[in-house]
Amino acid sequence: MNASPSHLDLLEAESIHIFREAAAQFRKPVLMYSIGKDSTVLLHLARKAFWPQKPPFPLLHVDTTWKFKEMIAFRDKTVKDFGLDLIVHINEDGIKRGINPVDHAPSIHTDVLKTQALKQALDKYGFDAAFGGARRDEEASRAKERVFSFRAAGHRWDPRKQRPEMWRLLNGRLGTGESVRVFPLSNWTEKDVWRYIVREKLDVVPLYFAAERPTIVRNGQILMVDDNRLKPKAGEEIKMRKIRFRTLGCYPLTAAIDSDADTIESVVLETLNAQTSERQGRLIDHDQAGAMEKKKQEGYF
Amino acid sequence: MTALALVPNAQVPKSEVRPVVQHTLERDLNGIVHLLTCGSVDDGKSTLIGRLLWDASDLYEDQRENVRKSGRKAADSDLPDYSMLLDGLVAEREQGITIDIAWKYFDTETRRFVIIDSPGHEQYTRNMASGASHADVAILLVDARAGVKRQTKRHAAILDLVGVKRVVLAVNKMDLAGYSEDVFRKIEADFRTLCWKFSFWDAVAIPLSAVYGENVARKATTMPWYQGPYLLEHLEKAPSHGTAFEGPFRLPVQTVLRDGVDFRGLAGTISSGSIKVGDEITDVLSGKKAKVERIATMSGDLPSAQAGQAIALQLDHDIDVSRGAVLAAPDSKPVAAQTIEGRFVWLSETAFDPRAGYLLRTVTDLIPVSNIEIKALLDLETMSSHPATHCGVNDIAIAKISLGRPAAIDLFGDISETGTLMLVDAITGASIAGGVATSVTAKSEQHGDGHFILTREMLANGLCRDLSLSSADREEFMRRANEAAILLRAAGVAVAIEPPPMIDDGMDPGL
Ligand SMILES: Nc1nc2c(ncn2[C@@H]2O[C@H](COP(=O)(O)OP(=O)(O)O)[C@@H](O)[C@H]2O)c(=O)[nH]1
Repeated sequence: MNASPSHLDLLEAESIHIFREAAAQFRKPVLMYSIGKDSTVLLHLARKAFWPQKPPFPLLHVDTTWKFKEMIAFRDKTVKDFGLDLIVHINEDGIKRGINPVDHAPSIHTDVLKTQALKQALDKYGFDAAFGGARRDEEASRAKERVFSFRAAGHRWDPRKQRPEMWRLLNGRLGTGESVRVFPLSNWTEKDVWRYIVREKLDVVPLYFAAERPTIVRNGQILMVDDNRLKPKAGEEIKMRKIRFRTLGCYPLTAAIDSDADTIESVVLETLNAQTSERQGRLIDHDQAGAMEKKKQEGYF
Repeated sequence: MTALALVPNAQVPKSEVRPVVQHTLERDLNGIVHLLTCGSVDDGKSTLIGRLLWDASDLYEDQRENVRKSGRKAADSDLPDYSMLLDGLVAEREQGITIDIAWKYFDTETRRFVIIDSPGHEQYTRNMASGASHADVAILLVDARAGVKRQTKRHAAILDLVGVKRVVLAVNKMDLAGYSEDVFRKIEADFRTLCWKFSFWDAVAIPLSAVYGENVARKATTMPWYQGPYLLEHLEKAPSHGTAFEGPFRLPVQTVLRDGVDFRGLAGTISSGSIKVGDEITDVLSGKKAKVERIATMSGDLPSAQAGQAIALQLDHDIDVSRGAVLAAPDSKPVAAQTIEGRFVWLSETAFDPRAGYLLRTVTDLIPVSNIEIKALLDLETMSSHPATHCGVNDIAIAKISLGRPAAIDLFGDISETGTLMLVDAITGASIAGGVATSVTAKSEQHGDGHFILTREMLANGLCRDLSLSSADREEFMRRANEAAILLRAAGVAVAIEPPPMIDDGMDPGL
């Protein structure tokens, strides 16, 4: 009795509290599942919050059709193992128009196949709340994000519509046309996510572990050639290389790092003691200045 | 003032600068402390936090390199400008969000610290109040050459209002005051006088120099006359967030979890106290009692649980409790309140409107308000109140609220979490005012004298004729009742709703 809780115990309890509040306050929530480590933790916490019931909402994966094959396999296995409902949404119109991350600017690809696609899916099913794995420590522009982040009609993020949050009170009463993004991991750091994965013995996509993989080097970044849609240009050569990923997204937009860390323990130690912050691996972030801020206004997360 | 002030010198680590934090897999930190810093512009807030990060945290090497490379220097020294480490936050300040709090996270050897950054000028009462409501410890910053100012008093009053119990007066820029004991003692005495007015549990003054790191992350070498803790030492020993183990048991029920016919778990986060299997609990709204049979979590059943833990309680018999109830120790329970008086920080740009529809949110309940009377406004500098009937943004209002039905509420001064309130606009859903309950009464005062009662029978025969008794329909029943009450109130009719049928599907009763 009265043993002090560790910081992970406190973060876990807070996230469970947020999940339960949102599920009680909103009519039709959904969990935005993007298969990576943050989603893995998010899903685990959702399962804890409603156990012994299953989470009372489906998972939504917005598939750009450019995810690593191993991500899709992991997604399908997770859903089957835990008996969850999964909705996969693809922006068919964008695919028909031939939008892709190899020939188009990353920002166009992301906008059409991710941001627009997400809005389509939320509208199609009429979800009024969407759980996401965003953390405040990811990015300066997220440092002020609320736990319940309001979106006006058309999914627009309007700074004046954001509500003050005090104590443990979460106010989710929606005005006309409003919907909400809910961020149960708001107060977690990247390090917490990894430590928690180790503590709770969670499975993650094998791409986080080092292995020999076919790669090319483009603009100084190591990219994995996951299928033949990424074609080497003149001077580029496909080479096997021992790499792993710190974050996961569309494979032509996700840079790998050289690493020998092939167990969860070695990956986590390497991450915990890393000397640079995580988003370096995500190419879309370098695409334009203030990109995150803009993406937020447009409803990217 | 505090046991910490008695820590003998010999226990203070001798090392000048702490080693860079090395991470191991096993390391779980000893809890979380949320820190709020308040001070006037130029007192050295950014420099102090920056120096704390520099000396004691797990900054990435590229972040340190940026500061070194910039060539910017702190004050007249040869040291790097530590305040740059907070630049990211400051630059983001002008996003136009009405009420802005930026959150920053860092780890020392033993602790997770969360810096809550909220602008604290006079016009920002609501900003500071909403930031402070999350703080475990507040650092009041003053310049040693200026001492305690009017602004410091205002800040202390806001901290007290929202329930911050631990306050540190950081007397900064001691280097510019010759590290003089006399200067510090005089400021410390003023601070003590100031603290008498408030209900802080722990208030300590520390002389320091943010630029030179004196008494920040190590013991000062320049102030041998000071025997107390240095800042980080004090912060690492402060109780962590979510450790209100001592008070009476409270579990605001968020939702009811089921598994077949055998399991019905009342799920929520313990606000206060602790519970073990076999303990008796009561629900003040229904007056029913039961014993705890299981404390269930996905990781396994627990023999006991305490404040801060998210659990589900299975009782020995079904007492039909639903979301919004607060389970409590039978010998010390909340009030099934119909009338409350509280202090509210007005957060909204829209002023109080006696004809508007409001709802009151507690931790897990949402209750229609049948009447609000503004009684006075509080002057933060003198802590005196002045009669008033209206209030607007940044005001601290003393208000009396009559509820459309009873809700389980504690006095904030007794059990803080279950005494917190949020006034909500019934139409837009916006958060209008954050408040704390200072007096709660079970009996409705105005019932009978001119109150129109929306009875269940009346609703069932008319507005809700199409609804069945299924749980989804019962929720819709309540929603319509609330909306009808809001419309009537907007039309100037004082109205109350007959208490709802029991809803046990975990949905928000007010919706
Ligand atoms: N001499 C001296 N100057 C300081 C100290 N702390 C801060 N300053 C200087 O005071 C000025 C304001 O500091 P800053 O951290 O930006 O203040 P803020 O506006 O409260 O965030 C800067 O020029 C700092 O270098 C200190 O302990 N000693």
